[in-house]
Amino acid sequence: MQKSRSLAFAFVAPALLVLAAILGWPLVSAVLLSLQDVRTIGSQGQWVGFTNYSTVISNPMFWTSVGMSIVWVVANAALQTVLALMAALTLNQNFPGVKIARTWIILTWIVPTVVVVIIWRWLFSTSGGMINPLMMQTGIVSRPVGFFSTPWTAMATLIFINSWRWFPFIALMMLAGLTRIPADLYEAARIDGANGWKRFTRITWPLLAPTLGVLTVVGTLLSFNVFDIIWLLTAGGPAGGTRTLPVMIYETAFKGYKLSEAATISVLATMLLMAFALVATRWLAKEGDSR
Amino acid sequence: MKKRILGLLAGASMLMPLSAFAAPVEITLWHMEQPPHRVARIQEIIDAFNTAHPDIVVKQEPQNWGEVYAKAPAALSAGAGPDMLFAIPDFTPILKNIGALTSVADFVAELDKKHDFVDSTVQSYSYDGGVWAVPLYNMAMSLWYRKSVLDGAGLKVPETWADWKAAAEKLSVDGTYGIGVPANKQLYTDQTIYSVMVNGGATEIYNEDGTLRFNNPQTVAALDYYAQLQKLSPPDSTSWTWGEAEACFVSKSCGMIMQFSVISSYDTQGGGDPADLGVAPIPHADGEKDHNTIAYANAVMLLSKDEAKRKASEEFIRYLLEPETYGKFLNMEPGLFMPVTADGAKAESFWGDPMATKYKAQIEQIIANSQNGRLFGFTSGRTFPSIAAISAQNVIAETLQSIVVGGKSAADAVAGGQDRMVEVSK
Repeated sequence: MQKSRSLAFAFVAPALLVLAAILGWPLVSAVLLSLQDVRTIGSQGQWVGFTNYSTVISNPMFWTSVGMSIVWVVANAALQTVLALMAALTLNQNFPGVKIARTWIILTWIVPTVVVVIIWRWLFSTSGGMINPLMMQTGIVSRPVGFFSTPWTAMATLIFINSWRWFPFIALMMLAGLTRIPADLYEAARIDGANGWKRFTRITWPLLAPTLGVLTVVGTLLSFNVFDIIWLLTAGGPAGGTRTLPVMIYETAFKGYKLSEAATISVLATMLLMAFALVATRWLAKEGDSR
Repeated sequence: MKKRILGLLAGASMLMPLSAFAAPVEITLWHMEQPPHRVARIQEIIDAFNTAHPDIVVKQEPQNWGEVYAKAPAALSAGAGPDMLFAIPDFTPILKNIGALTSVADFVAELDKKHDFVDSTVQSYSYDGGVWAVPLYNMAMSLWYRKSVLDGAGLKVPETWADWKAAAEKLSVDGTYGIGVPANKQLYTDQTIYSVMVNGGATEIYNEDGTLRFNNPQTVAALDYYAQLQKLSPPDSTSWTWGEAEACFVSKSCGMIMQFSVISSYDTQGGGDPADLGVAPIPHADGEKDHNTIAYANAVMLLSKDEAKRKASEEFIRYLLEPETYGKFLNMEPGLFMPVTADGAKAESFWGDPMATKYKAQIEQIIANSQNGRLFGFTSGRTFPSIAAISAQNVIAETLQSIVVGGKSAADAVAGGQDRMVEVSK
């Protein structure tokens, strides 16, 4: 038994080593970089210990960005969950064209980010865009709205666009969860006189909760790291109003030419995410055990 | 007989130069002229060069200004950088600091002797005892308007800030914005703000000793005035780059804009009537006399350490600056790129282009405007390395945003802007 276990380990060891190197080396490099004072790629730096960490932690901009990242993640999670749940429940019904709808719902997700950005930038534009004239014609507003003109509206608009892009993917995951719920449970509830709301709250929601839990963890990690849409639409502006941590890391490294400081922010962000992932997975495991 | 023929062939092959067998030298050009028609024009020139120089193969890889500041140092560090890279003055200190540049003073002197560079274009790249790039073309910001629109409102072309604001207010009717000025934290906003600053006496951002003098009454007045113009601009101008401003102008949503050139988009999408397209110098403050503007001498840096590639790069630049080629190169965007050489300014290849002919009056006006061109950080004959970080982080634009978005007074914003410049310079 011991021999076969050793043999098995010997077989998987090379793959594990390669995996460890691929995953571990960038992390180790980032930590090493954060302990130096390298400014631009290709230049040499001196070892400065934890100076960068004290600089970053004492920078109010860092904490503002942490706050913005939290707002970004929570708002995206909430909006995407609501939209995805609605879509999944709809797609779980039988109606003509449901198969086509299930296939094409992922369209927003497969469109390249740059295309998404161009489409929405044009739609929201005050010079030739479609949304402002529609809002004015229907009397919602009397003057064109600059969707990216204030920090608050820019953040809300970005959250909307990002959620629009990602909710179909989450909806499909939820749909997979929904199809696993036995149909006879609904049948029995219906015979017992449970209305639609009760069937949802007593059957659908509790049985979908594990899927939602996993999606929350994965979605949070993915949302937190979103950079492309934010950078291409607002570049963290206006007035730093959408400068989440990934945007701050990029700005610090490639606009401020402070590569080591950017690595420090990356390490701190990774620690935050790891802490979240640890707590969330433990909570999920606990929930799983209690069921 | 057979032996004789073989012998002759062997002898002949020994007489042939080795280069006949050598693979052509391949050189890569990175430039930031991304619009497809500019890429196509550069490709035409490259194809002609490659045909005329079988021992050299030039290929282009268009880049983007937003990314190249980060991408070029990374690529060079990884040994995958280009052999030639277009630049604006504040880009060169970054690459020089990582040891990627060697002086091209001798090469520039050779070209100067032949073509006679506009002095200021070479000066922008001359510091620390070297010349770090070869000037290629100049760009100057102007005020663009439609003559029919101004005439319709009973307005004259604005000369002063007071005229300008009054015109913008009068043109702001029926869903039209009197003016479109950007307020994004981006290079275009840096450029338009500085164009206003230099017309209000706020030309210098450095003192002679390299300390900053951004925080002064002239800068405060200029930013305060600019913020007033921004209120008359579309609300999404806080996220504008060059393209959005041009789109606003050609779609007639904006009465006036500041831009290097709108000729190409106006011609294809804005009606294309040259008689109606107006271009003027940027208005100056009421107490000032001269019209000034921002001007960028764009250049090319030679990055290859390989002698053969460096010589091939030099050969390509020689070809580019020949009057027969140069005008064709400049007219990849008619009215945007101005010549930096005396013979280029007279070249038939420049003035013979159909677009240059059609919009000759506008192009002549841009050239006239460029005579008083300045560039922040490169105005006093001294260049301080911190200008690279100040420019890359768009601190001037960020200062404006703290007024128009953050609600600060101009005085507080400019004081904060200077502090930020000090911070990013560390």
